[in-house]
Amino acid sequence: MISSSILFLRRIWAFIARDWRLELSYRMQFFLRVLSILIVVTTLFFISKIFTGFADPRFAQWHDPLAAWLTGLAVLNYFMTGFSSLANAIRQEQVQGTLESVLMTPISVPTVIVASSAWDFVQATFFSFLYLLFGWLFFDVHYRGSFVLALGFLLLTTVVLSCLGILSASFAMVFKRGDPFGVFLGTGSALFSGVFFPTQLINQYAGAGVAGISRILPPTYGLEGIRRVLIEGEGFSQVREPFFTLVLFLVVLLPFSLWVFGRAVRRAKREGSLIQY
Amino acid sequence: MNSFSMPNHESNGATPDYGRRVIAVSVDDVSKTYPVPFLRLKKFLRRKFKPPVEAVRNVSFNIHEGEIFGLIGPNGAGKTTLTKMIATLIQPTSGTVTVKGHDSVSDDERVRLNVGLAGAEERSFYFRLTSEQNLLFFARLYGLSSSDARRRIKELFKLFEFDELARRRFAELSTGNKQRLSVARAMLANPPVLLLDEPTRSLDPIAAARMRSTIRSLAQNSGQRVTIFLTSHNLVEVEELCDRVAVIGKGQIRAIDSPANLRTTHTQQEQVLIHFTSLEAADAEHALRQAFSDRFFTLERTTGEQHWLLKCSRETGDETLDAVLRVLQQSGAIVRSVEIERPTLLDVLESYEKETSD
Repeated sequence: MISSSILFLRRIWAFIARDWRLELSYRMQFFLRVLSILIVVTTLFFISKIFTGFADPRFAQWHDPLAAWLTGLAVLNYFMTGFSSLANAIRQEQVQGTLESVLMTPISVPTVIVASSAWDFVQATFFSFLYLLFGWLFFDVHYRGSFVLALGFLLLTTVVLSCLGILSASFAMVFKRGDPFGVFLGTGSALFSGVFFPTQLINQYAGAGVAGISRILPPTYGLEGIRRVLIEGEGFSQVREPFFTLVLFLVVLLPFSLWVFGRAVRRAKREGSLIQY
Repeated sequence: MNSFSMPNHESNGATPDYGRRVIAVSVDDVSKTYPVPFLRLKKFLRRKFKPPVEAVRNVSFNIHEGEIFGLIGPNGAGKTTLTKMIATLIQPTSGTVTVKGHDSVSDDERVRLNVGLAGAEERSFYFRLTSEQNLLFFARLYGLSSSDARRRIKELFKLFEFDELARRRFAELSTGNKQRLSVARAMLANPPVLLLDEPTRSLDPIAAARMRSTIRSLAQNSGQRVTIFLTSHNLVEVEELCDRVAVIGKGQIRAIDSPANLRTTHTQQEQVLIHFTSLEAADAEHALRQAFSDRFFTLERTTGEQHWLLKCSRETGDETLDAVLRVLQQSGAIVRSVEIERPTLLDVLESYEKETSD
């Protein structure tokens, strides 16, 4: 048991070290991304000044729009990683021609899943943290409440989105291109999950039918929970509902997505199309 | 089994006796048909589709521990499909492949623990990583600790004389060096079975000879006798290295035997080249025509006025050569040299191909 755990961690570390080395070979890209986050945070600071004094009492999380946007963007960045990193990793390995070499080693399907996205999560953690750090450091944004609970929400939502990411990767494995999950969740999350504005506004302006879309997207619950903890300072007893909704998503999606991915790998092996793209 | 005859002289002196040796790889009645993607949907929409491709049909053979087993055949014969099926990268449609007793479908992780694959695909490494970083990554996936991985990589770099290239990016390596790195990767975890797909492709003659020597020593090493499954278009190499060779054509095994047996059992014909000088070539030619039919031989002038080359074929060991030499001597010719060209694996392959197309 212990040796298999060590082996599992050793393999994950191998992927992280590999991707770190690959990242080092493109140094400029890293600095450009840090700079772009600083520019985005600065731009949002100035836009937030337009709304000073116009706070709507119905939207407690949006009294300081800059804090709401920064948490939204930080979390969206993390969610998108959870959702897209595996499909991207699989696709990249297919394009490079290295997928067969990786699958030729005695590595299990769940290990491939976790390890392929490990570096992306390390990166996402760093860049998400930068949104919050730049806000606090340069623009006086304050967060309160339990960071541990917020982190719990973040991890739970990310794992749920990773399940959708696994479905997306299965699609990439079999169909090579065209990913309906990507279109739906990528654009859908930004529009319907309350990243840039309160979800209640959708109900007000587009009706209950359209607003219903936000209720079936896991990021909506993740963002709501994180903002209620970090901005409103609520405790676990007050955010149980979004928390357990996310747990329910996880219980349904995790086994289903692993099953689908296993079938996708088997299908690609049957068709002999592992390295095709 | 397939409908072609399969000479298998395992008790013959020319072929090692495998009766008591442990089977390392077993391929049992394996077929592979690549399915048409979304066939039902295409049929429903009445869309045209190509028929399924039958890449391998009813293939069976065993490879024994420490054996070097070659697979030869023309392009598209099914060599790569068969190799990938042993490597668990492709699943057979029917039949079973086992490596060291582990099934390639139900126990694929264990099979991969026992198998190292050096494929012919050049794009199987990370181009922006160095050779050492690439091997380190794969060594860790095989479960080696950091120190074990580094030690093993050092050993392999020494074996393949790769030290100078260790810190060079994979993209900067020549095709031959990429090929050598691929074989080194296959050997990272010291697997008991190696699958080598054209291991000397793109290597210069000296590097190719060293690679062959390495392959041979792996199989002969008394410590761990590595079983080697080798596919190659270099038939001289196959003949030199392999204990047994399987000939595959259109997905079916046509023959399995030692290279020597394949040559002799498939074709008894050999070519005889006789160089002679004669002041009166017309006399020699006349005597030959009287003794043999016109179609039996060809006669051509070589370097000078009096130098001639006679070509004819005979069955191994018959008395044709003696008869021809006697006729030449009686006509006053002086025989300068006699060369016998024995059939090669290329002849064997060509004749099986012809048989297949007929």
